Amino acid sequence: MADNKVIICCKCKKELIPKKVYFKYLGHSFFTDILKCPDCGEVFIPEELVKGRMAEVEMQLEDK
Amino acid sequence: MSIPKIIRSTYSVCPVCLSRIPAQHVEIGSNVYLQKKCVQHGFFSSVIWRSKTPIGEWIGDTPRIKKNENLNCPKACGICPEHRQGTCCVLLEVTSRCNLRCKYCFADSRNTDDPSLEQVQAWLRQLAVPGKTLVQLSGGEPTVRDDLPEIISSAKEAGCRYVQLNSNGIRLAEDKEFVRKLAEAGLSFVFMQFDGTNDEINRKLRGVDLLALKKQAIENCAAYNIGVTLVPTMVPGVNTDNIGELLRFAIAESPAVRGVHFQPVSYFGRIPERPVDEVRYTLDELIYDIEVQTKGQIKAKNLIPSRCDHPLCGFHGDFVVMPHGIEPLSGKYTSKGDCCGSEPVSADKNRAFVARRWERQVQEQESHSCCSKPDIHDMDYFLKRVKSHGFTITAMAFQDAGNMDLERLRRCSLHVFDNGRFVPFCAYYLTGWDMT
Repeated sequence: MADNKVIICCKCKKELIPKKVYFKYLGHSFFTDILKCPDCGEVFIPEELVKGRMAEVEMQLEDK
Repeated sequence: MSIPKIIRSTYSVCPVCLSRIPAQHVEIGSNVYLQKKCVQHGFFSSVIWRSKTPIGEWIGDTPRIKKNENLNCPKACGICPEHRQGTCCVLLEVTSRCNLRCKYCFADSRNTDDPSLEQVQAWLRQLAVPGKTLVQLSGGEPTVRDDLPEIISSAKEAGCRYVQLNSNGIRLAEDKEFVRKLAEAGLSFVFMQFDGTNDEINRKLRGVDLLALKKQAIENCAAYNIGVTLVPTMVPGVNTDNIGELLRFAIAESPAVRGVHFQPVSYFGRIPERPVDEVRYTLDELIYDIEVQTKGQIKAKNLIPSRCDHPLCGFHGDFVVMPHGIEPLSGKYTSKGDCCGSEPVSADKNRAFVARRWERQVQEQESHSCCSKPDIHDMDYFLKRVKSHGFTITAMAFQDAGNMDLERLRRCSLHVFDNGRFVPFCAYYLTGWDMT
């Protein structure tokens, strides 16, 4: 996690907790720990993950 | 007896006089032939596909060459505004000398004097697009030049982003100090001739035993973190039954070995005789044999048609070597476009992709902890592993006077630099069948 900020689910008002979450891209699936609502399953994907590791996975997988 | 069916019209050359003439892809039974007729020299036919995969599915919606297009091709070749692809890789011959005398050789080494270092440096300055160029130092055998490290550093100074060495590996095996100098000069990676995992193959194709030397060359390059891609010339009846073994060897040598680049034999330069269909090995056969001989470990569906060059010119497969085996990353359905015939890929994008895999980026460390089983689905592990143990299985089917297809030639992205001109590889080395 990028920092220790508490993030609250806007629907359930519960604190999001780190959970293993799967992503799919071009037929491949990957997991990493991100913040997830324990009730409704809503996830918070921080910008640094999107622009960092997720973008890198995309680059590695994209067909030349 | 099957009825011949014309499935595509294109242009080619007469194998004798090399004049530009109309040609057709003709399906007869399960084979597809490139057929053409020269008014002066008669009818010619060469098998180009053996329908292990339907050719139409493989080519997709690649544009056909029209009657009024590429009229000066290949005679006036030196890429022109009608050429349909940029330069992905530039090949520069730095010597015509060689320390082997192979039965097959596109360059047909002639043992003439080398161009001076100053001359080569001038060429490098001319050909380099700073920050982009991938230059392949070729020959002859480039390592016969003692000043090869200076050539490599000059290429880097000229702005070449990647410097590739095309080599038979003999000096890389015998002179480790020379390998160190090449690494220090900035060599990015080596494409090493490697025809098979036994010396019977080497004796047939190269006239001598080479396997121990090739293994030593891989070891020496690994010592200085230079990635090696193995390049077998595939000749029917000589090494086409060795594909599975060769791939298993290459995978076991990962990460020192970065991939295998198959080159089905083509008949230009120094060749033993005029080719008949039995001595041609088509791309679809190669793909089929890869799947069969690896017992399905590598599947045909993971080897996809070239989108930088013409689909009939090659394929690529992207993989990652895991401790337990090889995992595919590329596949018909992982491409952003449709499975086949999707948009061509620019030479810039293609270069960035292949170089990323062929170059060893950092000295790899074990990319998993001792206690947990590595899992490719773990994003962090995947990112480390794909950089350290990425592996490519690629092929390039060069064209000769028999099977030259100008629809393919105009998409060529591998260009030979010759005195200021960039000439598509197969046009540059094209030789008529009278062997003059």
